Amino acid sequence: MRVERRNVIEADRDAVWKIVSDPDRYPSFMTRLERWETANDQPPGVGARYFVHWKIGSVPVGGLIELVEFDDLRDLAWVGITGVNLRGRIRLRDAGESQTKVTFRLSYQAPGGILGYIADRVAVGQVGRIAADTLKRLKELVESSG
Amino acid sequence: MAGLAEALEWAREQITSRVPKADLDQRDPDYIRDQLPGTWLLASLYFRADVQHLDRIPAEGPVLLIGNHSGGNVPPDTFVFTLAFCSYFGVERPFYQLAHNLVVSAPPLGWLRKFGTVAANPENARLALESGAALLIYPGGDYEVFRPSWERHTVDFDGRMGYVKLAREAGVPIVPVASVGGQESALFLNRGQWLAKLLRADKILRLKSIPISLALPWGLNISDLAGHIPLPTKISIEVQHPIEVDGDDQAVHDKVMASLQAGVDRLAARRRFPVIG
Repeated sequence: MRVERRNVIEADRDAVWKIVSDPDRYPSFMTRLERWETANDQPPGVGARYFVHWKIGSVPVGGLIELVEFDDLRDLAWVGITGVNLRGRIRLRDAGESQTKVTFRLSYQAPGGILGYIADRVAVGQVGRIAADTLKRLKELVESSG
Repeated sequence: MAGLAEALEWAREQITSRVPKADLDQRDPDYIRDQLPGTWLLASLYFRADVQHLDRIPAEGPVLLIGNHSGGNVPPDTFVFTLAFCSYFGVERPFYQLAHNLVVSAPPLGWLRKFGTVAANPENARLALESGAALLIYPGGDYEVFRPSWERHTVDFDGRMGYVKLAREAGVPIVPVASVGGQESALFLNRGQWLAKLLRADKILRLKSIPISLALPWGLNISDLAGHIPLPTKISIEVQHPIEVDGDDQAVHDKVMASLQAGVDRLAARRRFPVIG
């Protein structure tokens, strides 16, 4: 399943990137985050790993993720190494003067054949709300600190 | 009378011989991973489960998880917690659960061994902890799991505290895991210890209880050996802070019981209705 949500933040890309590129800030804007821990000693960038779990349904879902793109002021993407198959991306683009369009994508696929497919479908609403709320909180965080 | 004694002895030997030897290699992480979505659906939609504070479990190394047990022979708390543990720490982290001989030797339940379920005895428990795994034990066992539903919020191990010695010898912390809701999956009326004694099931099958309950689809359910369909009761689980084994057995046991009972009381206070939660 793929979930995508977008919004426009009243701030330039520098201000938004400053927050999304800082792993320590994620618990302050990412919704329903149950666990966010650094898993290796690497500074934020390609190869940095984190344990990430969102509360989806009854239990925390997620696992070990690794950053696979860290393109200054543009894109930050990760893949899941353990847990459900997962890809995520936060994409920043100019949206006008002192405005940034932020896109948050989550693609995921549970194992287990047909039950995995049903679980994906059942979870999609909640994952969509997580993505939307995360962007809303990011907007508030950036605009209040600008 | 001699014929009856021989028949009972034969039954005992049949069951004992079917109890699998401790083999931690039977746990299959890929199998568990494939089953997680199905258990997630059941836990999230049917039992509306809520598991909190998994972060209190040490992130690595062996640990002894001690839970209060509910739900008869179909205990929702066990599978909800197993799902939560495997989701949080990944199926890669070895995790075993001790279960009654009858559970691990029943052919239809062979798949449980792939989840890491092994027969409840001190040797298996030691083996699991020495291998560096997390181990889940319900010391109250069949005594606690068949308590009457009106005692559902009482933690009662029947004085069993062998787990403290186990933790001390293995040098691992104890993490209490409190849960509520499971004892509302049927109406448990009586442990039936008198019935177990009468039928000598305590000697032959290590069954100290032959419980009597009202459960789906049977109505009056005696023994629960064939299981039952649990009511869609809300399951709430709260992991407690680790307890170091640094006093005598009774003192540590008292700490574990106090921690579990406090957790159960907290969860019970948030519950407005039976079953619904």
